Amino acid sequence: MPFPRFRSISFLPKKRERAAKVEEAEEPTIIEIFLFKSDACVFCPRAEEVIRETIEDFDASVFKFTVINVTESPEAAEKYGIFALPTVMIGGVSITGIPEPEMLLKMILGAKVTKKKGAAE
Amino acid sequence: MSEFTIERVKTGIPGLDELIEGGFPRGDTILIAGKAGTGKSILAIQFLFKGATLYNESGVLVTLEEPPHLIRRNMLRFGMDLAQLERAGRLAIVDLSPSKEVTPVTVGEYPSFDLSGLEAIILNHVKRLNAKRVVIDTLSIMAYKFRSRDILREEFFKLCASISRAGCTLLLTSEIPAQDTGLGVFDIEAFLASGVIVLYNEKISDTSRSRSIEVLKLRGSKHSSRIHSMRITDEGIRVWPGEITPGH
Repeated sequence: MPFPRFRSISFLPKKRERAAKVEEAEEPTIIEIFLFKSDACVFCPRAEEVIRETIEDFDASVFKFTVINVTESPEAAEKYGIFALPTVMIGGVSITGIPEPEMLLKMILGAKVTKKKGAAE
Repeated sequence: MSEFTIERVKTGIPGLDELIEGGFPRGDTILIAGKAGTGKSILAIQFLFKGATLYNESGVLVTLEEPPHLIRRNMLRFGMDLAQLERAGRLAIVDLSPSKEVTPVTVGEYPSFDLSGLEAIILNHVKRLNAKRVVIDTLSIMAYKFRSRDILREEFFKLCASISRAGCTLLLTSEIPAQDTGLGVFDIEAFLASGVIVLYNEKISDTSRSRSIEVLKLRGSKHSSRIHSMRITDEGIRVWPGEITPGH
């Protein structure tokens, strides 16, 4: 008995579509780090040092590091409801005081996962 | 006795100024303490409203608990249109309430911080409006927001001093927990302030409660040492200086 002939139907995306998806996923995700500091804050310079030391091992293009001096821009602190300094904000979460590098890495990882999830949806 | 007189800031709250030699000493920090529902926020906001409308003194309200739109709505009930004062540049409402949409989620805290951010936010509005009155409502929320109580205590001393140096009279509200006998959650509230006013809403029978007010301390003033009747009327808080509350 001859083998019945079926039309082949593929549920996999075409080669071109697959390539586009891979390209999209590999696009570098930029993680934004904000440090809120003030001129009067004695802990803030150390917090800034810890952040710079933590991210220097990574590709510089992965991060966008912004320092907000609340003494000069109190409106920015008010907008985000941040009044204890130093405060580091990464991807919608924040930590107050001089952060430990491990905690910063966790926050960075969390922000990266959230961004990727958001991009996939 | 010296003839030196302390400059007074009239509260504008009917009956209260009579208990405190005409008003709060200018530039002082006054604590308004009381259990939930005793009228602390109303009294503090009324102080700002009357300052702006009767005494030409602008004010800054820092809300750490209740969102501004609810404060505006609730004060309208007493005929106090805060939005109008804001538009006229006589009042600033600083929203630091947890309901603020863009506030990041706090994942932790290290005991190496200060409140210089709060100071910068408040002084920015004080300078902008040339404000003479500041209210922080409520101090107690800070105890739930931060774990490092020792730091908070020290930082509050610095903050109060800084607002006072800017020429403002500061009112802090403090919620006394239900079964507590102190003046708030920090145990140092009374030391922060040079004046303490306590509000009560005591049950006097199975079917009724009685509101009252007590001036517990007011440095540099000869104040009443009795507990006086107080009511929340359609026009806000009113104190009856000649009426001693039946609950005490």
